[in-house]
Amino acid sequence: MTTRRQILGYASAFAAVAPTGEALAQAVSATGSNFNQSGLIGTLESATQVSTIPTSFKESPALAELVKQGKLPPVAQRLPSEPLVLKPLNTVGRYGGTWRRGFIGPSDGENGNRINSSDKLLFWDASGSKIVPSVAKGWEMSKDGKTTTLFLRKGMKWRDGAPFNADDFAFWYEDIYSNKDIVPTPIADMSPNGKPGRLVKIDETTVQFQFDVPYFLFLDMLAGDTLIGGGQSVQQSIGNYFGAYSPGHYLKQFLPKYSSEAAVNKLAKDQGFDNWGRLLAFKKDWELNPDVPTLGPWHTVKPINTPTWTMQRNPYYWVVDTEGNQLPYIDNVVMTLAENLEVVNLRAMAGEYDMQERHIDLQKLPLILDNRDRGNYDVHLDLAFHGADTAIHFNLSYVADPEVAKWLKTADFRRALSLGIDRDQLNQTFWLGLGTPGSVVPAESMPQNPGPEWRNRWSTYDPDRANKMLDALGLTKKDSDGYRLRTDNGQRLVIQVEAVAAMMDYPKQMEMVTQQWRKIGIYGDVKQMERGLAFQRLTANQEQLDVWSNGGSELMYLFPREVLPVDPTEAHLGIEIAKWYTSNGTQGTAPTDPELKRALELYRSASGQKEAERNKTAQEIWKIIVEQQYTIGTVGQSPAQFGVRIVSRKLGNIPSRTCIAQHCRTPGVSHPETWYFKA
Amino acid sequence: MITFLVRRFLLAIVTIWLISVASFVIIQLPPGDFVDTYIAQMAASGSQVSAEAANAMRQLYGLDRPMYVQYGKWIVRVVQGDFGESMEWRRPVMEVIGDRLWLTLLLSFAALIITWGLALPIGIYSAVRQYSFGDYAFTLLGFIGIAVPNFLLALGIMYFSFRWFGASVGGLFSAEYTLLPWSLGKVWDLMKHIPLPAVILALGGTAQLVRIMRANLLDELRRPYVVTARAKGLTERRVILKYPVRAALNPFASNIAYLFPYLVSGSVIISIVLGLPTVGPLLVESLISQDMFLAGTIVLLLGVLTVAGTFISDLVLMWVDPRLRRQMD
Amino acid sequence: MRFPFLRRRSTASAAERYATATQLQLTWWRFRRHRLAMVSLVVLVLAYGMAIMADFLTTMDPHDTNAATSYIAPQGIHWRDDNGAFRPYIYGLKGVRDLKTFKLNYTVDTSRKVYLQFLAHNYRWSVLGFESDLHLVGLRNPQRGDGIYLLGTDQLGRDLWSRLMVATRVSLFIGLTGVSISLFLGIVLGGISAIYGGWVDLIVQRLIEVVRSLPTIPLWLGLAAALPSSWSVTQIYFAITIIISLLAWTDLARVVRGKFLSLKEEDFVLAAELAGASQVRIIFRHMLPSFASHIIAAVSLALPAMIISETSLSFLGLGLRPPAISWGVLLQDAQNIQTLALAPWLLSAAVPVIFVILAFNFLGDGLRDAADPYG
Repeated sequence: MTTRRQILGYASAFAAVAPTGEALAQAVSATGSNFNQSGLIGTLESATQVSTIPTSFKESPALAELVKQGKLPPVAQRLPSEPLVLKPLNTVGRYGGTWRRGFIGPSDGENGNRINSSDKLLFWDASGSKIVPSVAKGWEMSKDGKTTTLFLRKGMKWRDGAPFNADDFAFWYEDIYSNKDIVPTPIADMSPNGKPGRLVKIDETTVQFQFDVPYFLFLDMLAGDTLIGGGQSVQQSIGNYFGAYSPGHYLKQFLPKYSSEAAVNKLAKDQGFDNWGRLLAFKKDWELNPDVPTLGPWHTVKPINTPTWTMQRNPYYWVVDTEGNQLPYIDNVVMTLAENLEVVNLRAMAGEYDMQERHIDLQKLPLILDNRDRGNYDVHLDLAFHGADTAIHFNLSYVADPEVAKWLKTADFRRALSLGIDRDQLNQTFWLGLGTPGSVVPAESMPQNPGPEWRNRWSTYDPDRANKMLDALGLTKKDSDGYRLRTDNGQRLVIQVEAVAAMMDYPKQMEMVTQQWRKIGIYGDVKQMERGLAFQRLTANQEQLDVWSNGGSELMYLFPREVLPVDPTEAHLGIEIAKWYTSNGTQGTAPTDPELKRALELYRSASGQKEAERNKTAQEIWKIIVEQQYTIGTVGQSPAQFGVRIVSRKLGNIPSRTCIAQHCRTPGVSHPETWYFKA
Repeated sequence: MITFLVRRFLLAIVTIWLISVASFVIIQLPPGDFVDTYIAQMAASGSQVSAEAANAMRQLYGLDRPMYVQYGKWIVRVVQGDFGESMEWRRPVMEVIGDRLWLTLLLSFAALIITWGLALPIGIYSAVRQYSFGDYAFTLLGFIGIAVPNFLLALGIMYFSFRWFGASVGGLFSAEYTLLPWSLGKVWDLMKHIPLPAVILALGGTAQLVRIMRANLLDELRRPYVVTARAKGLTERRVILKYPVRAALNPFASNIAYLFPYLVSGSVIISIVLGLPTVGPLLVESLISQDMFLAGTIVLLLGVLTVAGTFISDLVLMWVDPRLRRQMD
Repeated sequence: MRFPFLRRRSTASAAERYATATQLQLTWWRFRRHRLAMVSLVVLVLAYGMAIMADFLTTMDPHDTNAATSYIAPQGIHWRDDNGAFRPYIYGLKGVRDLKTFKLNYTVDTSRKVYLQFLAHNYRWSVLGFESDLHLVGLRNPQRGDGIYLLGTDQLGRDLWSRLMVATRVSLFIGLTGVSISLFLGIVLGGISAIYGGWVDLIVQRLIEVVRSLPTIPLWLGLAAALPSSWSVTQIYFAITIIISLLAWTDLARVVRGKFLSLKEEDFVLAAELAGASQVRIIFRHMLPSFASHIIAAVSLALPAMIISETSLSFLGLGLRPPAISWGVLLQDAQNIQTLALAPWLLSAAVPVIFVILAFNFLGDGLRDAADPYG
């Protein structure tokens, strides 16, 4: 049984770069020699946690003023007795300034969630591979994996000054999560093997998650961007009621349990809501309601559904730097509404944003670089860790057209299509050469990568071999244009590819891919459509091939939906299979492909495995996926998603490279609370 | 005349109702609903929406009810002045629109003034000095105004203003004023930004009206009564302005009706390109995401504007042309 | 359309010919005088001719993608050989990506000349059942990536000139279909409205008003999504064009109704009625011809509106979408900042749009002037 001291001792170990971080750095310099000529790609780094707690504390002048006026208690009383101590990347910063950013509308909540992601219970280091404390100061997992205990910080407070402790976890678990009116069914995160777990208060600063089966994965779940571990900002906004803790002292007044159903309904109607459910939905949402208490460095003063989403510093933020200065350094965050992506990029080029990585388009990189001096900003390129910015998924539960369904389920057909794609052409045209062509597996530096030989397996350009394979399958007849004919009625075989103009211009990329498929005699019909329609068709099992990014798959268990059909909300490989998986066989259709079945079984067994074994299992799953080509990978590990970082030259403590991954909550993992304005 | 007005008014109400039904149906036509769009948006920006949350949203917004029920509930509330809540913005529809509506009206109004202010004198000049160099030049310019799609114009101008002036682009306010409350300085800032989009918007309409004005004035100028007026010794200016121009104003009046929706939906494309905070981009976004109440209300507004515009144009026409007035009685 | 002025060469005097000419003849004679309109007519005939022969005029496959030729600026043709002989050629190009600015820089390889060839063989095409693989101009023994890039290339390395040819055909002919449908609906509904009057008239009027107040953009969006996705992109666009012309008939209907109303009072109609002619005969034989020229004028002014609709809607992503090629699709490629800044030649797709629309407008103006005998 690991002792508390051992776990807390990890904190000091983080001062040094973790071994995996080194490996990552080496991996980058090895593959990135081409890229490094630009001087835009740095090394993974960020502020680091130290265990020594400063003896005296300081605060921003604005807050000091409020203390003098008696409106706030002194800073030493506002901080917990064990605050999180960050050593800033370069230097201790100075207070002040407003961080200008751009957002595109009320659906762009992630823009603000991510910079507040220190409100997660656990988080990751700069390389995105080691778990570190965040809200919780330490953890302990039992040897059998059935219990995970979290240790909170004594004296920690919500941003309105109320105490933050285990009661907030108990409140969430009993009054929100277990309330069938609010959360109808338990979430998968809390129910390994379908058996719901419990959250129990041990004492004021200790909470425990208890499960009936070994659940070694749970620690990663707490640290990752999951329903249970994602933090209050993202997991209690919009339709979500998760995140493991909630401000009970504020939300109690909106629950029938603490007064009566009639009373809260009346309260709701008075405030213009239909019923207490809708009132609660509004009141708990930090993006909409400036009053709700939060834990992050900045809180909303002007909500997201206005043209300027404005945030101000949290006076009770529980993080300090090594000299005892209460963070964040920056006073305010102001996001201005941009009607579309072109406008965001234009404004960024005009220097109207201080730090913007979101919505910046890689295709505009030459123009962005041209305008650096005029806009007074620097550009950093951060490479991601997922294998495919553009992943082409086969719907393995497709039934509408039996002939096409047959081919979608034939491994050699999928492999031939994969061999018929010239990835270098795609890389040059759409990624400006900054991507890595190959299969869908994550970067070689990631622990779940199955081995370097799997990058190119079935993922090179070999049209001759593809033609031979298709001929061997019986697709020998061709029409006058050279396209292969169906075997059932002699007409042209048409494969529909659905593409949404989302993270990248998928329709354009598919235009190039289908042109390349001409050479192997396959007619690809690109169907460009709106997002809503595409996702609706996904749910209705109508798509044949669809295109999406597999970002998030770099740590498979934390965001599996881009890897396997295990989540019906977004099942690219077949909704019916996803339904079959989540319902344990009662709904949907079982997969006919034995390899897919094996992959799903491996996945199911993983939550009960320890980390090393789990990673091995993940590698096996990746091997199956690549060997069977359920998903064709094209180009990945690039700056295409959030990887083009525009940073004003006035900002300090900016890392030269930051982790681009779902679990890193880019830019959260680079600690925005330590950035400061130099002048 | 009163009976005529009352009848037209009643018919206008019926028309508006039909518009609301048709719009609601069309908005609902695409398969899927707002929650699907919402999930897709969330997925594209890297976050999850659990299946439970999705179902809860559907129930919340009544999306699981049949269409006529949804329409019925909506129209009953609309008549009472409650336009519902926008699912995307999670605010009352009128609040979301209200911020932008008067900016749209301002932009359209500015474009309207520019249109008339330019079309009238240019049209008259072209007719009076027919076949002169000025006439040809204006005709050509006018045609270019019609022929060049206005989004192209907007795009080019936006880029060049950035390239040459490093100007803050996109929007109706400079960066510093966006956050500040209304003040004289902010109003002046708005005035500085309005002319460019207003001119682009007005260009197409101006060209049309110039041609119409020119053609009709030419017709009128050849009429016998003009010759009579000249013979009688009236000054050239009175000859032209007092009668022919007034008669030639007919098509102007009948065009008012469709100028409003033209300007409002014509500004959609320009607003998208220039990133203006007007109703146009809001409409397109809400249609794409099937934000029913918001889209339905905006479309209804456009319908009301049209019908009101027709009504007004009939009144103006009656005032302008005495011949018609007598006809009404 | 027959050319009446070629039909008879009688010895009658000019005045006599004028007095006995048909309505159409009169219109044509007046039209001829309008210089600009005549030029426009020639331009349009040429444009439609080019549109029909579009594939013959392309130099490369408009669909073939090639990363190595991405974003090439327009390249000139060299006409004379080193010895002064007329042997047009182009140079090979080599593209290298600058790893500091990430721009693709092309250098001309003057050591490699690729000669042009007239009536060259290239990809196969067919139009109206006629098949061939001949193209007006091509290259002799080209390597992959060689091309006559008169207007440069787009992001996917495709020759813009070739794409423009194909786009012209699509855009010009789709406009025709839409306008024909609008015309039919306009005449029928406008005619019925005028002739029967009363309630019918009122209903049609209201219908016109409702239709005119429906914003076109939501209609398009909704219908674009509702059509079966198994249809090809062109099929879908035809369907949408038909539906849009269901909205566009209102202007024509109003014109038709107005003309009918004023003509109803004319003496010759009364005479026909007294002579016992049926309603249908009166409409089609007597009334319609007298404002046929107005209709033609209105139609030729409605066409540019159709064309602008298509380009604007494709710009919004609602009209034709890739891999279909039309002017709107080509312009949509240009609607972003990096294109404007780094590849502005992609905007040249706007030039034929402008010319054709201008031509239609002048034509329509000329026709309208010619049609109205009192103008």
